[in-house]
This record gives sequence, structure tokens and C-alpha cells, in this order.
Amino acid sequence: MSRRFGGEGLRAARHVLRAYPALLRVGFADMFAYRAELVVWLLTMNMPLVMMALWTAVAANGPVGRFGRREFVAYYLGMLLVRILTGSWLVWELTMEIRHGTLAPRLLRPIHPLWAHSAMQLAAVPLRAVLVSPLVLILYWAAGERLPLHEPERMAIAVAAIAGAWLLLFLIMAIIGTLAAFVESALSIFDVWLGAQAVLSGYLVPLELLPPWVSHAARYLPFRYILGFPVETLIGLESTTSALHELGVQCLFIAGSLVATLALWRAALRRFAAFGG
Amino acid sequence: MVDVSFAIAPGERVGFLGPNGAGKTTALKILSGLLYPTSGSVTVGEFVPQERRSEFLHMITLVMGQKQQLLWDLPPAETFAMNRALFDLPRREADATQKELVDLLEVGPLIGKPTRQLSLGERMKCELVAALLHRPRVLFLDEPTIGLDVSMQARVRDFIRRYNESTGASVLLTSHYMEDVAALCPRVIVIDKGHLIYDGDLRTLARRIRPEKRITMHFSSLPAPGELDRLGSCVARSELQATLAVPAAQVTEAVRAALGRLPISDISVEDPPLEEIMQEFLGGQPANGRVKSA
Amino acid sequence: MRSLRHYARLLVVQMRTSLTLAVQYRLDFFLEGALALFWLAITLIPLLVVFSRRESVAGWSFPEALVVVGWFSVLKAVLDGGVTPSLNFVVEGVRKGTLDFVLLKPADAQFLVSTARFEPWRILDFLGSIGVLVYAFHRLGRAPRVGDLMVGFALFAVAVILLYSLWILVVSVSFRVVKVDNLSYLFISIFDAGRWPIDVFKGALRLIFTVVFPLALMTTYPAQALLGKLTSAHALLAGTGGLAFAAIARFVWKRALRAYSSASS
Repeated sequence: MSRRFGGEGLRAARHVLRAYPALLRVGFADMFAYRAELVVWLLTMNMPLVMMALWTAVAANGPVGRFGRREFVAYYLGMLLVRILTGSWLVWELTMEIRHGTLAPRLLRPIHPLWAHSAMQLAAVPLRAVLVSPLVLILYWAAGERLPLHEPERMAIAVAAIAGAWLLLFLIMAIIGTLAAFVESALSIFDVWLGAQAVLSGYLVPLELLPPWVSHAARYLPFRYILGFPVETLIGLESTTSALHELGVQCLFIAGSLVATLALWRAALRRFAAFGG
Repeated sequence: MVDVSFAIAPGERVGFLGPNGAGKTTALKILSGLLYPTSGSVTVGEFVPQERRSEFLHMITLVMGQKQQLLWDLPPAETFAMNRALFDLPRREADATQKELVDLLEVGPLIGKPTRQLSLGERMKCELVAALLHRPRVLFLDEPTIGLDVSMQARVRDFIRRYNESTGASVLLTSHYMEDVAALCPRVIVIDKGHLIYDGDLRTLARRIRPEKRITMHFSSLPAPGELDRLGSCVARSELQATLAVPAAQVTEAVRAALGRLPISDISVEDPPLEEIMQEFLGGQPANGRVKSA
Repeated sequence: MRSLRHYARLLVVQMRTSLTLAVQYRLDFFLEGALALFWLAITLIPLLVVFSRRESVAGWSFPEALVVVGWFSVLKAVLDGGVTPSLNFVVEGVRKGTLDFVLLKPADAQFLVSTARFEPWRILDFLGSIGVLVYAFHRLGRAPRVGDLMVGFALFAVAVILLYSLWILVVSVSFRVVKVDNLSYLFISIFDAGRWPIDVFKGALRLIFTVVFPLALMTTYPAQALLGKLTSAHALLAGTGGLAFAAIARFVWKRALRAYSSASS
């Protein structure tokens, strides 16, 4: 993707804008064709529910820190919601493409392959939102007072946080997937990343309930800004000021990931050219 | 498949012909017990294939050109060892059979390399070793030469024929390559759209569909115009070469006349290409048409 | 019915194949083994956090809950190492049509298919989980009684049978629904709930996890056996449950095979 100013950059940008709707349409059709797998994938996201059962049992006779039973329910339902809306299969797709050499045709098109991939992943969001709507209703019923339904400012930040989370996750997955061009075991790296994410994003346990040094360190790592931060903003565990501050941090991580993604991609292409793909 | 009946004697080589989707593979799968017929009965030897009795499974083998039983990441030798255990073959016997097959098919240096590193032809040859290790008496071969180059096809055909001749095993072959069937199978069963439309000798069928011969002539100088057309219909023509289609009964006359009237340097008489005949046969035949077997 | 010796020999041959494959990718062995231990550690974290703030949860103390987790991990190592790989092999075989070749071999198809693939590096996983169990009893300050150990082993066998039977049921279903190959992930994610003592779950969920997808029989009851807290009613339930599931699974598998028609041509 061209980052030079001037004619070529503008032309590329316009090209992307024109092509994107078509890419989205293809992505949507593709996701629809795989709707059975999508439903199964949704059903496999039950870890937050199991955690919810565990922690509500723990909180049966008294809150844990700031979390009483209602807070745990709200937290884990919100976690499930954000996870489903932002999750993607990009690492699998990229590693398959690189390993089986089907990346080559994509490279011949005058548009960065990651645009096509982003469209594919983005097109899945509406379908997931539809499938997840019962969850939203349950969340409203169980802990509706925590949702920012009457606070436009907080709602805006929450939506921005979720969108940012999607983008950040997409870019990080692009990085890990592109590593498949360099190492055999990109999927193992992904596994390690998933493990770290499970702990450091607040997926398994709310970050503030972890030992203080862990939750402190987590603020400097990207994991929190993919799951924990959007969820806490959504269910009102963050004040507006600190939420805005963290939104800024999220943007920093996004920018950094973008730079890394593009650089890594360029290096991968050079490698392909050298080894014939 | 609808109303298909046939009987095959031990040691026969029979080819199943027909367009794609006609039911040839289905027939083989029913015969090997993988599919259940909705009506009618099937026996192979004295066994009902669907019961999948051990003795039955020892007796048959199925080779599919588009799929393989060889383990992908391991050398074929590992698959042979596994089959030896699966079929409970005595060590010495199995080794002897394996050596025999490997020598016949000339795959000695290949069986130690991982299957994924072999070419398609090499894989098929190793596949045949794996399939024949237990010395089956009935061979079901489903498109065994598909995707192979011409010389490899010929070698596989040759091997199959020699195996049949030396062991007396029955061979049932499906293919949509005419050469496979023509070279290997004295008897063909033609299946189209699930119906059996012919059962008998291939050449007889060909001659019945199109009872003509092709006379190919090379000229030493240009023949007089009009002379050719008097002898028969011209199917191919270039400056010093021509091929005529002549009704079989009139061939001798036509050859004598050609030798007398035309400046011929070389002449040969052949059957019309089977591919053409079969295309016509299968294209033009109505779905429930039947040709009485020879 | 072929002789037991024949099947024993087949088992050895099948394991040898898996081992040869594993040795080929030697680096993978250690990498996968390390990853398995890594995940074991990760899954212990929620437990550690919970018990850093509470003495007991739903009637279970920390060492007791640790026994359940350790037990779960042992079972998971068996699942990941011995059950999932071979049954993935089946699903792939159905999709590619190579299952036909298995059906043409003169040995029981269910046996062949179930022993087709092992993942030997899961032994590290297995040993790590045993380590967790040992530590749990260390915290309790005693060793399990011999009688408890024996009942525990018996229930372990029951648990493996249950797990295996459930998997066969999933695979038999996948004969029909060939396209959806992430059914295995669904299975594993439901199985994951067995990490916790069944008492954590309430009401309908608890019933489901005892009867329909019997996590309770697979992890909680064996753990209770080791701790000497298993009631004989529950032990009986586990035993009959295991046998019932095995019988049902065999029946469904045979039916699925009958209905099987190989993919394309």
C-alpha cells in the first residue's frame, strides 16, 4: 500500500474506496455460505458463561472486590458479546493462504490483500450482530441499569472502544498470520498469544481481581484493549475520563500495529519474491 | 442404477464403459460392499459383499484412481507393513509378494520416500503394490490410469494384464479412456444413465454400431480429382494423404480398386477410432435402448 | 470376531505409524508438549484467583477443587492425545472419501478408526496433570487411601469410555454433516466446563452436565472417589452411565456406517 503523498497515493485510496463495497458484498456472501460453521463457532464461546457460573457461586455470600453477583453477570455477558463481535479467523485464513500458495493471485491484483481480508472479516459483523441479539436482550434483562443507554457520551465511547478493539485484533492477527511466511509454526505462536490473551485481557478473570502487579502490567499490553477495556466501558466500570484516556491508548496500539503489519507484509513479499512463493 | 444384471466368471477381464455419472463407480462400490443396493442381490464368489466378512475382504481389492490408501506423509513401505498386519499375512509370504510386485512395477528405489514426494504415476504404481499385497482374487479398478501420461498408462495396463494371466484373478475395470478397455478387456459392459445397454465383446459392438473400415493411403503423386470420391467417403485429406471410410463388406473391392487406379505408395486398413464410435453410441442411444448381448 | 492377539498386533502397528509420523516432526513434539504445559498453567489461574479470596466455593476447598482440575487435565491429555486425533482422521477420511479403504480392511472399522492416530507428546500433558494431582494431595497433607485409589482408577476407565463414546457419537453425526468440521471444537469447549466441580453449576445446567453430557461422571465423581467422598449411589451411576453410553455409541456408529455413502465418486 502506497504511503507516499501525491498522485499515486490518492489514486490508490480512490481505488480502494471504489472496490470496497464489492469486497464487502463478496465477504457477506462468503460468511453466509459458512453460516453453519459460524453458529458452531458461536456455541464454542462458552468459557465466559462457565466463568460466570463459577464466579457467581463464589460471590454467593458476598462481593469480590467491586464485583457482586450482578456485576459478574454483566461482565461476562458483556465479555461474550464483545468477543463475538470482534473475533475473527484471520490467522487461519492467512496461514492457509501462505502455506498453500493461494496468496499469489491476490498479490496480482492492484489492491493490498489485507483490504480484501478486512472486508471479509468486516462483512461477518452484521450476521454476528444478528446472532448475538438474544444475548443483548439477556444482558439488558440481567443488568440493564449498567448499560449506557441514557448516556450518549458513554455510549459513544463504548461503541468506539468496540470498533477499535475489532481493528486492533484484526491488525494483530494480520501480524501473526503473516509470520507464517517466515516460520513453520505460526499457529503455535498464535496459540501462545491466545493463552496470554485469555489471562491478560480479562477474558478469564476481570483484570482488577488479578494480583496488582499483573493488572498493572496489563495496562501496558495490547490484550486489555481488545476485550477488557471495551467490556468495562460498556458496563460502566470505568469513569468517562479514564475511558477517554484508555481510548487514546487503544489508538496508539492500533497505530503501532498498523505500522508493524505493513512493514512485516513488505518483508514477507520480499521473501516470496526470493523463494518463488 | 436401474435394472442392471450381469454375471462374471473367474479369471475374466471386464471393462465398464460409459460417460461420467453413468454409474460405473457405483457398480464397483456395490460389488465391493461399500454401497448397499436398494433392490436385487449381489454375490461375489459365495459372499454377499455388504456383509463385509473377513474372507470376502481378503479376496477382493479396490483401487481408485482418484483416491489413495497410501499414507501421505510416510513412505509407501509403511503402508505395505500396515497392510501386512491388517491382512495378517505371514512375514515370509508377504515379503516375497512385495518383492515380486515391486520388481514388476519397478518401484524399488521409491518405496522408501514419503508418498507426497512421488509423482502421480509413481504413486499409482505403489498403490497397486499396496492393493495386491494380500493376493486378492478379484480386482476392482476404478479409473486406475486417470491423470497418468500415455507411457505410464500403457505400463499399468500391461501390469494388470500380466497379473491376470499369471494369477487368474478376475479384473473389473472402469475407465473413460477407451485404450484401457480396448487393450485390456475382451468383454465390456456399457452403462449409460444407470442402465446396462450392452454386454459383450467390444469390437463386435463397434462393428455393429459403425460397420465400416478406414483405409489410409499415402500417395506418391497427386491423385486425379474425383477418383477418391468414387471409392468411398473421405474423412481426412491432405495433399499426399487421404483416409476413406468404406463399408466393411466392400473393403476388399475398394482396396483393389485404389491400388489399380491411384498412385499409392502406402496403404493400411483399420477400424474407425473407438472413441468416435462410443461417443456416437452413447450420445445417440435413447435412455432405455438396449442392444442384445453378443 | 478375530482373535485378541490379532487386534493387539494391529494396535501395535497403528501406534507405530503414529510414532513414526511424530518422530518425523521432532521439533513439533517438544513445541506441542511445551504448549500443552503452558495451557495447563493458564487454566489453573482462575482457580488460583478464586481461592486467593475465598476458603471454599460451593462446598469445595482449594485442594479439593485442585483434584478436580488435575483430574480434568489428565482426562484432557487422554482426549487430546488418543481420542481427538484419530477421530479427526475419520472426519477427514469421510470428506476425502478415503474412509472407503478403511472399510475394505478385514478388521473392525471402529477399532481401526479409533487407533489410527495418537499424539505422543501429550504424555507431557499427562505427566503435568498427574503433578497437579500430587500437589493437591500434598496440600491436603495426606495421600489418597488405597481403596479410594482403586475406585478412582475404575472411574478413570469409566471416564475414558464415556469420553470416547461421546466422541464416537459426534463423529457418527459428522457422517451426515460433513461440511461442518469444527464440531470437534464444540465438543472440546463443552468438555472444558468439566474443569470445575459440578456443584458450581445450578439447576438445569447441572442436570444436563450429569445426564446428557456427563461431565459430572467424568471429572467430579472420580475426583470425589480419590478424596474418599464418593457416595455409592454416584459410583453406581457412573458405572452404568459409562456402559450405557458405550452401548449407545456402538449402536449409533454401526447405523452411521450403514448409511454411509462415500463422498462424490
